[in-house]
Amino acid sequence: MVYLLPKILVAGGALMSLLATLGLPRWRNGAFWVALVLLLAAGVDAAVLWQAEGNLSLLVAGSMIADPFSSLVDLLVVAAGVSSLLLSWNGDRYGPEFPALVAVAVLGMMMVAEAGNLIWLFLGVEVLSLPLYVLAASERTALGGEAGLKYLLLGAFSSGILLFGMALLYGATGTTLFVRYPNLPLGTGFGLYGVGFLLVLVGLGFKVAMVPFHMWVPDVYEGSPTPVTNLMAFGTKVGAAAAILRLVAYGFYPQAQWWSPLIGYLAVLTMIVGNLLALPQRDLKRLLAYSGIGHAGFLLVGIAAHNFLGSMAAVFYLVPYGLAAIGAFALIRLVEGNGEGVQLDDLEGLAYAHPWAAALFIVVMLSLAGIPLTAGFIGKFYLLQAALVANQTGLAVGLVVGTLVGLAAYLRPLQRMFARSRSERVQAFRWSWAGGAVLVVAACGTLFLGVYPSPMMHIVDQSANFFWLR
Amino acid sequence: MWGVYLVGIIAVLAAVGVVAARQPVHSAISLILNILALALLYLMLSAEFLAAAQVIVYAGAIMVLFLFVVTLLTAGKEEQEAPEILSGQRWWAGGLSVAIGLVLVLILAQTPSSGLGPAGPVGTLNALGAALWGRGFPYLLAVAMMLLTAALGVLVLNRPERPSRSSEPGSER
Repeated sequence: MVYLLPKILVAGGALMSLLATLGLPRWRNGAFWVALVLLLAAGVDAAVLWQAEGNLSLLVAGSMIADPFSSLVDLLVVAAGVSSLLLSWNGDRYGPEFPALVAVAVLGMMMVAEAGNLIWLFLGVEVLSLPLYVLAASERTALGGEAGLKYLLLGAFSSGILLFGMALLYGATGTTLFVRYPNLPLGTGFGLYGVGFLLVLVGLGFKVAMVPFHMWVPDVYEGSPTPVTNLMAFGTKVGAAAAILRLVAYGFYPQAQWWSPLIGYLAVLTMIVGNLLALPQRDLKRLLAYSGIGHAGFLLVGIAAHNFLGSMAAVFYLVPYGLAAIGAFALIRLVEGNGEGVQLDDLEGLAYAHPWAAALFIVVMLSLAGIPLTAGFIGKFYLLQAALVANQTGLAVGLVVGTLVGLAAYLRPLQRMFARSRSERVQAFRWSWAGGAVLVVAACGTLFLGVYPSPMMHIVDQSANFFWLR
Repeated sequence: MWGVYLVGIIAVLAAVGVVAARQPVHSAISLILNILALALLYLMLSAEFLAAAQVIVYAGAIMVLFLFVVTLLTAGKEEQEAPEILSGQRWWAGGLSVAIGLVLVLILAQTPSSGLGPAGPVGTLNALGAALWGRGFPYLLAVAMMLLTAALGVLVLNRPERPSRSSEPGSER
């Protein structure tokens, strides 16, 4: 029960914030406040649990694994949810149900990361996706409708594949409790078991935006309201990556010799394709969408390396990526004001008109690119180290090439900011306290992690300490 | 054995009818046929409770809901929210839902924390109840959250458009 408290708080946040809409129209931001407070409480509780757990790994109610890894992921997805709430801090525009849907999505992200059971994993994926389908289409723009429909169709498709894979796994093993699979006499071969695992991997690959299952990402990111895109880019990626890591770490580690190269090839493909396609983008959200695809590849490097350093580096990388993504979306939210979407040309003159906003944005973009003194560099460094220790030179080369290509993509918006002319958007630029706070926290966190990463390394060290590596 | 094929063919034909019918009401009626055929299949698998639930819940309650939706969608949308006839019903609903939530949390607190036990005899009312409200209770709650989200989604997406969101600079592409 005590291990369920963060989830109960988040679920309670969703329900109570729905109840708070009763106070409309007098208590205008009530739903937002309730959801924010309960999400923060869940975050605090997850931190307390993380401290209490130590090296414990416990199966609660036969389906959830309570360990430091789940608590860390809980913290990260709560951060994603809180940042999305802050970026949307204007109840009139996004509707009073917005915070409740965000809280439900956060709950789903917590569920997938702690699942030790295929049923719980599937329910988590669905609880995560359903509110995002709604949120993607919650603004009545043509692009928003397209985003919602595309996300719904491809999401339903991927859920079907996931479920089919799970059915095959159940057929092959007779249990849905995947933490028991390594103890079963299945051998190291492929068989029905392998096909099921592949299909599950494909289903989760859709969610983490792995190439070749990435087609939905740019359109959905572009069409969704910016706070929702923020939640998808950070929260969904954290949840799905954590689920893949958990699945291969607990259920499939005896079969590493065939899934590790597979994930490795996909990681290289994802890194290079994602960053290459980011190059020609003219819409900042699309650029970040392709960058998110590229970063999914970086995360997969850690999983494919299949050693302690790899799992640690993958978990660590979630933090710099998340901070940078939050910061970038906060700037988009500030620049877009009451409108929707930001073209690269809209950034013209920002560096002279609002130097602080530009400086913070430069920090997060350089972190995405992996420049030293930012958190992104440290994250990529550890991934590179993990790939080399695992003797997977191809992964390391792919990582470096992907980073180089990405650098060019991230410098383009920065170059636009230094244009002499000022765009309409920059002239209409207004700070809002919520968006500004998110941007400042993201940029400061990025710099702090880049200069002094050891506290975070220690936390990750404790959290990604999976038993099969000991 | 032939019964299974027969019922299966009926189920598939009815399912085709659901998507092929031009009138929404005809689709709904095909769906009822499909549900009844499935209930027969459950009976053949000696899952009596599932068969009964299928008929009562799906063919009964949910189909009525569908028909409601069909009539509402074709009736044309009301622009204004109807005035509340029962005064204070929102607050009563709020208080009652908080109470139900607390009861659910209490049940969750009593969920056995050990692993999934061996599956008992399936299909009987007792086994299903024990599975759903015993060790499987978190699953039930998760599904409840999912359905709540879906209902909320219908509300959000069917709401009349807010006027403030159009003709902003840069929104045309």
